[in-house]
Amino acid sequence: MNIIVPIKQVPETSNVKMDPETGTMVRSGVESVVNPLDLYALEAALSLKDSHGATVTAVTMGPPKARKVLDMAISMGCDDGVLVSDRKFGGADTWATSYTLSEAIKALGNVDLIIAGERATDGDTAQVGPGIAAWMNLPLATYISDIEVESEKSLIVERLVEEGYERLRLPLPALITVVKEIASPRLPTLRGKKKAMQTEIRTLSTENLTLESTNLGLKGSPTKVVKIETPKVTRGGTVVEAMDDASVTEAVDRLMDFLRQREVV
Amino acid sequence: MSYIWTLAEQANGHLKQVSFELLTRGRKLADSLDTKLASLLIGNGVSAEALRELILSGADEVYYVEDPRLASFSCETYSNIMVELIKTFQPHTILAAATSSGRTLMPYVAVRVKTGLTADCTELDIEETTGNLLQTRPAIGGNILATIKTPNHRPQMATVRPKSTRPPEPDADRDGKIINVPFKEEWLDGRVEFLGYRKDAGDFENIEEADIIIAGGKGMKKAENFKMLRRLSDSLEGMVGATRDAVDRGWIGYSHQIGLSGKTVSPKLYIGAGISGSIQHLAGIKTSEIIVSINNDPEAPLHKIADFAIVGDLFNVLPELQKRLEGGK
Amino acid sequence: MGYAPVTPAIIRELKEILGDKNVLVDEEKIEAYSHDETNEEEYGHMPEVVVTPETAEQTAAVVKLANREVIPVTPRGAGSGLSGGAIPIFGGILLSVEKMNKILEVDFDNMVVTAETGVVTNDIISMVKEKNLFYAGYPMSVQTCYLGGNIAENAGGGKAVKYGVTGRYIQGMEVVTPKGDIVNLGGKLAKDVSGYDLKQLLIGSEGTLGIVTKAIVKLSGLPTASAVLLVLYETARQAIDSVPVIISNGIVPTSIEFMDKLSVQTSCKYLNETLPYENCGAMLVIEVDGSSAEQVESDMIAIGDLCMENAAQEVYIAEDRNAVERIWNVRRNIAEAFKVYSPIQSLEDIVVPTAAIPDIIPELDRISEKFSMKIPCYGHAGDGNLHATLVKDPEMSMKEWHKAEPEALRDLYSVTRKLGGKISGEHGIGIKRRDYLEQLIDPVELELMKGIKKAWDPNNIMNPGKIFN
Repeated sequence: MNIIVPIKQVPETSNVKMDPETGTMVRSGVESVVNPLDLYALEAALSLKDSHGATVTAVTMGPPKARKVLDMAISMGCDDGVLVSDRKFGGADTWATSYTLSEAIKALGNVDLIIAGERATDGDTAQVGPGIAAWMNLPLATYISDIEVESEKSLIVERLVEEGYERLRLPLPALITVVKEIASPRLPTLRGKKKAMQTEIRTLSTENLTLESTNLGLKGSPTKVVKIETPKVTRGGTVVEAMDDASVTEAVDRLMDFLRQREVV
Repeated sequence: MSYIWTLAEQANGHLKQVSFELLTRGRKLADSLDTKLASLLIGNGVSAEALRELILSGADEVYYVEDPRLASFSCETYSNIMVELIKTFQPHTILAAATSSGRTLMPYVAVRVKTGLTADCTELDIEETTGNLLQTRPAIGGNILATIKTPNHRPQMATVRPKSTRPPEPDADRDGKIINVPFKEEWLDGRVEFLGYRKDAGDFENIEEADIIIAGGKGMKKAENFKMLRRLSDSLEGMVGATRDAVDRGWIGYSHQIGLSGKTVSPKLYIGAGISGSIQHLAGIKTSEIIVSINNDPEAPLHKIADFAIVGDLFNVLPELQKRLEGGK
Repeated sequence: MGYAPVTPAIIRELKEILGDKNVLVDEEKIEAYSHDETNEEEYGHMPEVVVTPETAEQTAAVVKLANREVIPVTPRGAGSGLSGGAIPIFGGILLSVEKMNKILEVDFDNMVVTAETGVVTNDIISMVKEKNLFYAGYPMSVQTCYLGGNIAENAGGGKAVKYGVTGRYIQGMEVVTPKGDIVNLGGKLAKDVSGYDLKQLLIGSEGTLGIVTKAIVKLSGLPTASAVLLVLYETARQAIDSVPVIISNGIVPTSIEFMDKLSVQTSCKYLNETLPYENCGAMLVIEVDGSSAEQVESDMIAIGDLCMENAAQEVYIAEDRNAVERIWNVRRNIAEAFKVYSPIQSLEDIVVPTAAIPDIIPELDRISEKFSMKIPCYGHAGDGNLHATLVKDPEMSMKEWHKAEPEALRDLYSVTRKLGGKISGEHGIGIKRRDYLEQLIDPVELELMKGIKKAWDPNNIMNPGKIFN
């Protein structure tokens, strides 16, 4: 089985700080990490490799430094990494990104299964996975929490939705996006790291892909960002101490009064 | 003038609440453009009265595509229908819910009709000079708000989170057209086969729909202690949420996880117990109407944004609260 | 011990010195000053009055008064200590440095920061970070602890293998002596042999020789890259045997942390961690840092190779922030995981020559069996400093525990001593280990210490009852 895992390098948001004076985001010193939700996609692919045999290729679109996430993917056990990188891809929205990635995946040939993360923690759109499926006209199953290989040509998957878990039969090739329940990701190993250092990462760009130039990057993106604001946090309210029995009773009394006032109990 | 559309959703022949919430958003846009609002529903077995509810809640027209094979969601088939209807009717804007199906179908359709899509919009407006849709959404963990438009492509498409708006008051005098769109066999894409629902779904809950959420974090110390939260949520008719830490520790299932790598919730009341309030978790609860925090660490960031904060041991406070709730309101 | 009580007249005088707002007598308010991170029921004691001076001059005036009247003074930082050093066991005056909390100067030319000692250590780190500088002498509790407490305890922590402990970074200080004089020791000086090094004597003296009100701390270049290795071994001996091999190889890791089987299993179960820990007898967490990603990468690989050559079962690596956190979480959550099992514990920090660590492990097993308590062992293997923690069996009664705990500790400490070790590497003696110290220390050394104490503090008013009687 040939499995492709598209992954993304994102800023590590727990360290994002807001400048209290200008109200803008302090970007300096913000580290880049593998989108944490992509780790589940990598693990799902590597588990399939362990149990059924597969070649797993991680693909990322981004600047040259995004190569780091491919290194990590190979260190975890992926066979290969592909960097989709070109200045012309810069500023792409989810539509243009999924176009470019789908063309890159097509160029790699012979794909049986694409496993993507649920969404990226920076953009938080969950649109690129389904977008790739649409560009490639692949059947799509999102929010997958369990994969069972039924045959060489089909999977039985469970899909986490509002009503519970759907069970679906999915013919291959297909694209799935996975949720955290799918598996607990493994850590990269020293062996994997050494392999990553020896692996030549292929770069795909406008030079070796056949692309519609009108579908690329900022210019090719249907959506345009017209304004960026920083929301002001103005919340904050009553603080009550409850360190001993009497103050616990009093604090809960006051909480109940508050909740009644706001008509929630 | 082309119409504003909303994408209604159904399950087992019943309209989901979010279908009405979308009409609140859609009506506002249609009025400011002086055009009509239509609701598109794909499904099976939805009664004429239920469809009429959409009219009473603000839709001028309802397009209903019905077939037994449309009862459960299929991205491929549903998108075939939408693509054809979009080509036929050329709507100005389509609003859908950021549900598991909306978030799957909309990007698939957006690619196929070559237009832009903006996810999880918190505000939607019309730009006066151009009539373009202004779509505002949070990004990077809610640290920024981006306003986005789709100037050169139509339709303009956006999703909004369930519960981010109230449904309109139905107006019994409203009138509108219900149009049954005949199903075409060629729309059917049988590649993905729906086999049913898993039976043993355990402690599954859809917290995105909850009006009241009692969430626990690392301070709950162990899985057993989540029973306290369960009892409280039962008394309050709410649901149980959790932080990533608690879910990672295996104390409760992923469907309960709130935050950047879990669900975003907007309940009327959110109570966080033993939750310090990482940026990632706060990103998932910011839109709650009332936030209550219970934590013995006075410096907990959740205390700082809470409407009501109790600095104290949750193992003392929660039982006391339970007693009050059981002892009659 | 004939100490005078804090009378209303004394309170009046304190208020004259400090103003009303800096003198607390209300029981509810001063309760928080009666304990630190040690077990409150066992070690807690109420002060008679809490004072929060805002200057060294005010501090000196309070101490002068106390010395005149023979009232004990207990200095206090953030209260995050682990040996009861800041507990006012004779009541009297508790002097908190919390209002002396200003960073006074960042001197880039000399690479030093001058700060008052009520500053949270992390504030110094954040302030200089923008300039790519780094204050390296900080303990694990960096987010809450004060600079003053770090100096009083000569705090260590997770990065001591490479960066050493607090004392290495203190170049100068302003001290209020037990007689109420103000003296400046050291300065913005990299070297200073002008007489006895009293500054170093103060460092780690647990507040018994004076109150440090200002300090000049040395800065280093900020390491911009780091990576972590998690190394699994079949046995503790194999893990420990790797440590000298790593250290002697020329690459100095930032930290080398050891976790025995019990620690690993308890923490991993608590975290629901899916690493293959079941067949693993011990783990090492090794961190390397530096100023270039390439250097850190090659150091990481070199150390990983050494571990593999020295019987490691598997070497996991983390360069990505989230993976780094995941590995450190296993180490950081050991104490918390055991608290869930049983909150009654005695957290120890024995220190032995690194090569002796393997010898201590079977001894811990023996003590554990003899006294029917769990004793997970984890900690800073790179400096031989181990948190062997006595954990009460939830089934054991408190009465039995109170009998067993001191006996087990005595056993542990005497084994430690036999191996050439000491009973505390970074937490200090305080009141928790005072009696054990007196039994285990060379009497000549103890006499010298007592002589120094007497010379500095003839009335024994400065944090009395700590370290020794």
